[in-house]
Amino acid sequence: MASRDQALSLLAAANTHSDLAVKLSSLKQAKDILLSVEPSLAAELFPYLAELQFSPENLVRKMLVKIIEEIGLKAMEHCSVLIPVLLAFMKDTDPLVARQSIISCTHIFCAVLEEMALQFRRRGKVEHGLEELWLWMIKFKDAVFAIAMEPGYVGTKLLSLKFLETYILLFTDDTNDSDKLVAEGNRQLFNVSWLVGGHPVLDPVALMSDADRTLGILLDFLQSPSNLPGSLTIVVVNCLAAIARKRPLHYGTVLSALLDFSPNFEAVKVCHTASIQYSLRTAFLGFLRCTHPVIFESRDRLLRALRAMNAGDAADQVIRQVDKMIKNNERASRESRFSRDDQLSSQLPVSGDQLRKRSVSLDTEELANGHEVSSKRICYGPNISSTVPIQINDSEEESVSVNGVSSNASLLDSDLTPVEQMIAMIGALLAEGERGAESLEILISNIHPDLLADIVIANMKHLPKNPPPLSRSGNLPVSRPIGPVSSPAQVVVTSAPTNSFSPVPTAHVPFSATNGLSLSDTSTANNYPADAKRDPRRDPRRLDPRRAASSVGVPSIPITDDAGAMEPEFDGSISLSKPLSLPVVTSVESPALPMSNSETDDKAIENPLVPESDQVSLKEKIFSKPEDAVPSSEVKTSSDHGLSPPHTVDEDSVASKLSDVEVTFEAHTSAFMELDQHSPAVSNTSIPEETCQDLPQLPIYIELTEEQQRNVRKLAVERIIESYKPLPGTDYSWTRMALLARLVAQIDADDDIVVMLQNHIVLDYQLQKGHELVLHILYHLHSLVTLDSAGSSSYASALYEKFLLVVAKSLLDTFPASDKSFSRLLGEVPVLPESALTLLDDLCYRDVLDSHGKEVRDGERVTQGLGAVWGLILGRPNNRQACLDIALKCAVHSQDDIRAKAIRLVANKLYQLNYIADNIEQFATKMILSAVDQRTSDTELSQSGSTDQREGEVGSQETSVSGSQLSDTGNCETNTARGAQGVVQSASTMSLSEAQRLVSLFFALCTQKPTLLQLVFDIYGRAPKTVKQAVHRNIPILIRALGSSYSELLRIISDPPEGCENLLMLVLQKLTQETMPSADLIATVKHLYETKLKDATILIPILSSLSKNEVLPIFPRLVGLPIEKFQMALAHILQGSAHTGPALTPAEVLVAIHDISPEKDGLALKKITDACSACFEQRTVFTQQVLAKALNQMVDQTPLPLLFMRTVIQAVDAFPTLVDFVMELLSKLVSRQVWKMPKLWVGFLKCVSQTRPHSFRVLLQLPPPLLESALNKHANLRGPLATYASQPSIKTSLPRSTLAVLGLLNDSQTQQHVTSLHPSETSSSVHGANLT
Amino acid sequence: MKFRYAMVCSSNQNRSMEAHSLLKRQGFDASSYGTGAHVKLPGPSLREPNVYDFGTPYKQMFDDLRRKDPDLYKRNGILPMLKRNSSVKLAPQRWQENASDGSFDVVFTFEEKVFDMVVEDLHSRDQAFMRSVLVINLEVKDNHEEAAIGAQLALDLCQMIEASDSWEDSIDEIIAAFETKHRRKLLYSISFY
Repeated sequence: MASRDQALSLLAAANTHSDLAVKLSSLKQAKDILLSVEPSLAAELFPYLAELQFSPENLVRKMLVKIIEEIGLKAMEHCSVLIPVLLAFMKDTDPLVARQSIISCTHIFCAVLEEMALQFRRRGKVEHGLEELWLWMIKFKDAVFAIAMEPGYVGTKLLSLKFLETYILLFTDDTNDSDKLVAEGNRQLFNVSWLVGGHPVLDPVALMSDADRTLGILLDFLQSPSNLPGSLTIVVVNCLAAIARKRPLHYGTVLSALLDFSPNFEAVKVCHTASIQYSLRTAFLGFLRCTHPVIFESRDRLLRALRAMNAGDAADQVIRQVDKMIKNNERASRESRFSRDDQLSSQLPVSGDQLRKRSVSLDTEELANGHEVSSKRICYGPNISSTVPIQINDSEEESVSVNGVSSNASLLDSDLTPVEQMIAMIGALLAEGERGAESLEILISNIHPDLLADIVIANMKHLPKNPPPLSRSGNLPVSRPIGPVSSPAQVVVTSAPTNSFSPVPTAHVPFSATNGLSLSDTSTANNYPADAKRDPRRDPRRLDPRRAASSVGVPSIPITDDAGAMEPEFDGSISLSKPLSLPVVTSVESPALPMSNSETDDKAIENPLVPESDQVSLKEKIFSKPEDAVPSSEVKTSSDHGLSPPHTVDEDSVASKLSDVEVTFEAHTSAFMELDQHSPAVSNTSIPEETCQDLPQLPIYIELTEEQQRNVRKLAVERIIESYKPLPGTDYSWTRMALLARLVAQIDADDDIVVMLQNHIVLDYQLQKGHELVLHILYHLHSLVTLDSAGSSSYASALYEKFLLVVAKSLLDTFPASDKSFSRLLGEVPVLPESALTLLDDLCYRDVLDSHGKEVRDGERVTQGLGAVWGLILGRPNNRQACLDIALKCAVHSQDDIRAKAIRLVANKLYQLNYIADNIEQFATKMILSAVDQRTSDTELSQSGSTDQREGEVGSQETSVSGSQLSDTGNCETNTARGAQGVVQSASTMSLSEAQRLVSLFFALCTQKPTLLQLVFDIYGRAPKTVKQAVHRNIPILIRALGSSYSELLRIISDPPEGCENLLMLVLQKLTQETMPSADLIATVKHLYETKLKDATILIPILSSLSKNEVLPIFPRLVGLPIEKFQMALAHILQGSAHTGPALTPAEVLVAIHDISPEKDGLALKKITDACSACFEQRTVFTQQVLAKALNQMVDQTPLPLLFMRTVIQAVDAFPTLVDFVMELLSKLVSRQVWKMPKLWVGFLKCVSQTRPHSFRVLLQLPPPLLESALNKHANLRGPLATYASQPSIKTSLPRSTLAVLGLLNDSQTQQHVTSLHPSETSSSVHGANLT
Repeated sequence: MKFRYAMVCSSNQNRSMEAHSLLKRQGFDASSYGTGAHVKLPGPSLREPNVYDFGTPYKQMFDDLRRKDPDLYKRNGILPMLKRNSSVKLAPQRWQENASDGSFDVVFTFEEKVFDMVVEDLHSRDQAFMRSVLVINLEVKDNHEEAAIGAQLALDLCQMIEASDSWEDSIDEIIAAFETKHRRKLLYSISFY
C-alpha cells in the first residue's frame, strides 16, 4: 500500500510539478515502483499513469510511452487500459513522441502475439485480458497503416513502413525462418506458422491474407514514387527487399515490382534519384547473396538488372562469393536427381530437408488460407449450386466407367510421391486465386524441372481413355454419373468432420489444382490418348495428394476442442511429410476421379448454364457419397468424428472450386507460364456466401484417326521442342527438357518423334543444350526402367536403347571426329546397353568386316571411338570389361594405323590403371604366345573371338595352318583336304605382318613394364622366323623407349635364356648404338661372356667402350669369329668411344693380329690370315703408313710373327710405293739372319723374288751360301741378279765369294770363288735378258 | 548535437579517422569504424602492406612501424597519422563486430564498397529497435590530402543534417543542397536498428 501511495504522489508530481527535471525523475521513480509491485496492484495505478498523456511536456510524454511499453511487456493482461494512450500518442504533435509510441506499440504487438500463441499452446486457450489487448493491437495496426498512407512526418511514416514490414514478416509463413529463429533464441520469435492449431483468437488464414494485403500496400508505394520523398521510397524498397529475402514466398512479387520500378522512376524528380537507384542495386545484390532456391532461380534476371544499372562488377563479385555454395547445391541436386527412387527429397533441387519442410509448410499455409479465400472467391450467377452437382455427377460417372474396380487395389499400397505432393500444393495455390497466384509463381519457378514435368505428365493421364461422345452445345453432362468432386468431399468428411467449415474448401483445393494443370496440358497436348501401358488407373499420383493436403490443412481449424490430443499429430504432419502416408491410403477412392477431371472440367467451363432444378439432387449426391466412402477410409484413418458437413459450406467450397477451375483454365490456355497473372484477375471479388457460377460449355471432343493422332503427337512434341525460342531465360528450358523426356517416354515408340527429336538435338547440340536434353530423356527412361517393375519397363528399356543409339549415331554422322559429344554422351548416360557397345565396337573396328570392298575407315573415327572407350573405361566400371575388350581388339588389329592408335591407348593410358593392367597384360601375353606357339595354341587363337573375327581374310592362311596342325596331330580323316593345303603352307606358318600384329601390343607394354621383356627372351628361342623378325623390328623401338632405364634389361642380359643369343645381340647392339654403354652394361656383358656365354660376339657391341688392355686379351677370340663378325668387331674397336678414343689403333690391331699364335690361342691360322686380309681390305683405315708402322714394330719382335713375311708381301702388293721401306725391312731381316727361321725364310725369299729388282741389293747382302740356295730355289733370279751385280760399281763392292756364286769370276779364277760367280752370272743373264 | 554519428572507411585509419578527429573537435558525438577484414597500412612496397587485426592499438602499430623503417613511414605520413589516431581513440574498430555500440543516427561512409557493406550489415541485423539510421556515402580517395578535404565535407554535411528538424523529412533537400554546393556526388540509404 505504501508503495501505492508513493507511486501516486510521484505520478502527481510528474503531472503537476513546475520543474521538468523533477517531473521526469518522479516519473522514473514511479515507473520503478510500478514495475516492482504486483501486476494487479500496479494495474490500479494505470489510470493515473494514463493521465500523464496530457502533459504539455513532450519529454514527459515520450518517457510515458517508454514506461507504458515496459509495463505492457511485463504485465500484459492488465495494460489494455494503457494502450489507448499509446494510440493517442501516435497522433501527437511531437513526432518524437509519435514515433516512440509506434515503436513501443510494435514491441507490445509482437509480445502479445507471442504470448497468445504460447498460451494457446500451453493451455489451449487465451486469457481474456490478452484477447482484449489484441483488439487494441488490431486498432494499433490500423492506425499505423493509416499513418503510412496519409501525409505526415516522414520520420513517423518511415516507422510505420517498418511496422508494415514487421507485420508481413510475422504473418507470412516461413517454417524455416521460424525454426531458425527459435533455434537461435532470437528475439522475434513469433511467426504465423505457430498458429497451426486453430487458435481461438488468431485466425492464421485471415492474418496471412492480411499480410498479403499489406504487402500490396507496400508495393503500391512504388506505383507513384514521384509523390513520395526519396527517403520513403528508399525505405519501401529496403523493406520489400527484406521481406523478399526473409520470406521467399513473396520474393517473386517483390522482385517483379522492383524490376518494374527501375525503368519508370526516372520520372521521380523531387528526390535523390541516385540513392533510390542505389537502393535497388543494394536490394538486388542482397538477393544475389541469398541461396534460397526461389531467389537463386532468378539470378539471371538480377544480373541483367544489375548490369543495366552498371553494377555488373559488384554483382559478379557477389556471385563469386555465393558461387561455391551454389555449386554445392547443384551437385546435391544432380545427385539426388539420379537416385530418384530414394526419397521425396530427391525430386527437389535443394537438399531435401529444407525443401520438404518448405513445401509442407507452404501447403499448410495455403490450405489454411483456403477457407477465407474460397469464401471470398465465390462469385457470379445464381446457378452455382445446381451446376456444381451436375458437374460432379458427370465426372464421377466417367471416372467409374473408366476406372474399373481393380484400379483401387493398386492405389491402396501406393505411397505419396513428391509429384502428388506438388500437385496438392499447386492445387491449394490455385484455390487461393489472387493470393495463390503469387505463391504459385514462386512455387512453379521453384519446382525442379523434373518434378514439374512429372506433374504435367501426371495430369495428362487424367485425359479420358475413351473420350465421351460429345456434341458441341447440347449434351449437358447431367446424365453422367458422379465424379471427382464428391470424392474429395468424402475425404474431407472422413478426416475432419468435426469442423467441416474449413476442411471442405481445403479438400477441394487440390482437386482444382489437378484440374488446372491438366487443363494446361490440354492446351498443348490434349489429344494424347493415355498410353495403354500407363493406364491412369494405375497411377498413384492422382488424387492422393489432396488427401495429404486435406489432412494437413484440416487440423488448423477443427481442433478447438481436443487440441491436446490432436496437436502432436498435426505438428508431425507439418514438419514432415511422412505422417501423410496414412491419409494417403484413405484417399484411395478419390484418385480414380481426377483422371477424368480435366476433361470434365474442361467441358464444365464451357457450359454456360445449368438448370437450377438439379441443385437438390446434387447435394444429395454429395452427401450420399461421403457416407459410402466412410467405411473404406475409416479403415486407416480411425476417424471418430461424425459426418456432418454443413451444406452451405459445401456449396461454397464447390463453387469456389469451380471458379478456380475457370480461372486456371483461362490462364493455361493462354500460356502455361502466365498462369499467375491471369488468375488474380478473375477472382478478385470477394463476396462470401453469394454463390453464382457461369458454367462454360463442354469443348468438342473429336475422335481422331490413328494418323491424326500421330500428327497431333508430333505437333505437340514439335511445339515443345521449339518452345525454347519464345521462352526467355534458362529457367524454363529445364522444364522443357523434363517435359520432353516424359513425352518421349509416354508416346509409343514413334519413329517420327524420335527422329524429330534427334534432328533437333543434333541441330543445336552445343548451343541449345541438346546434350542435357538427351540425358534428361535417357535418365527419365532409365528411371522408368528401374522403377517400373511391370511391363512398361521393357518398353522403356527398348525405347531407351533405341533413342540412345539413334542419338549416338547421329552425333557420329553429324559432327567431325574431333568432336567430343559422342564420348561425352556415352560417358554420361545412365546405363550403356549392349547395342551401344556394339556401336562403339563398330566404330573402332568396323570395316574389317567390309574389307572386301575398299577400306573406307576414317582413322579419325577410330581415334574418336578409342577416346570414347577410354573415357568409358575410366568412368563406367560396369562397362569396363566390354570397353577394354574393344580396345584390346583394336590393339591387335590387322591394320597398322588402327593398331598403333589402340596400342598407344592401351599401353600409355589404360595400362596405367591398375584395375585393368592385369587383364591387358594377360591379353598381350596370350597374343604373343599365340604368335610364337602357333602349333600348340592355334585353337586358342581361334577361340578368342576377337582375334578370330578380325583375322577375317588373314584367317585363310591361319586356318590352313591350323589345318596342317590338325593333320599333323592325326586328324587327317576329317581334314584331308585342308590338311593337304596346310602342309604346303605350313612352312611359312605366319606372315611377318601377322606376327607383328600379335606382338606389338606386348612390346608396347614392355616399355611400360620392362620385366615383361623376360617373356620375349624366353620365347625367342622357339619362335618362328617371322615372329623373330617381328621381334627384331620392335626391339629398336623398345630400346629407344626404355631409354637409360634398362636395369631390368640388364638383369635379363646377365642371365639370358637359351636360344636368345641373336636377340641378345640385337639388344646389345641397339643399346650401344647411339649412346655410350653404361658401366653396368659393360660389366654385365663381360660377366656374361666370362661365365655363361663364351661367344665373343656379344662383346662386339661394347668393344668400343673397352680399353686396350681389355681388348687385347679377347682379341684372339674376336679374330676367331666369323669374318663378318670380326669385321664388325674391328669396326667397334677402331671406332672407340668419344672419351677414350679407339681401343686400338689400326697399327696396333695389325700387331695384335700378328701376335696371335695359332697353337697357343687355339686358332686356325686361316682365321688369322683372314683377319689380316680383312684389315687390308680397308685400305682407307689400314693405309701404307699404318702398315709401315705396324711392320716396323713387328720386325723388331722376337720371335717374328709367323705371318710377318706374308703381311709384308701383302703390304707391298697393296702399296707398291712401300717397296723401299720393305727393302729396309728385308735388310733388317737379313741382319737378323732370317734364314734361320724356316717359315719366314720362305716368305722372305718369296718377297725378294717378288720385289726384284729392288730386292737385289738385299739379296746380295746374303751370305753367299744362302744366296746360292736362294738362287737355286728361285732360279729366275740368278740371271738378273748376275747382270745387276756385274755392274762395275756394284761388282767392285761385292766380295768375291758372292761374285763366285753369281759366276761372275773368270773360270781362270779359282774355284773357291764359285759362290761369287753365280751372282755375276745371274746379273749378266739379267742384263742379257734386258738386252734381248 | 542531436545525433550520433559514425564514420566508416575500410581500415579505420585515414578517412574515417580524419573525419572522426575533426568532428570530435567540433563537438559532435562521433565514432569511427572500418569494414575491411584487417587493418592495412602501406608497406615498403605495394605487395607488402602492413596488416594488423582490428583492435590493435594505434600506438602499437606506431611503435612497430617506427621500428621497421622510421624514415619511410614518416615520409609517407603513416607515423603522423597513427599518432593522430592514437590521440582520438585507442584502436581501430571493425564495423561489423561492434554492433553493440548502440544505434547511430547517421553513418558516413567514404567508399561505395564500404557503403555496401554497412548497408548489408545493417540489413542482416535483427532490426528490433525500429530506430532509423541514415547511411551516407561520400566518395573520398584514400590519401592524406583527400581525407582532409573529405573530413571537412563530412563536417559540413553533419552540420546541415544537424540543422534540420528531422533528417527524415529533409534529407533529399540536404543532399541536393550539398551536391550543388560542393559538386560532389552523394549516396544515401536508410536502414533501421
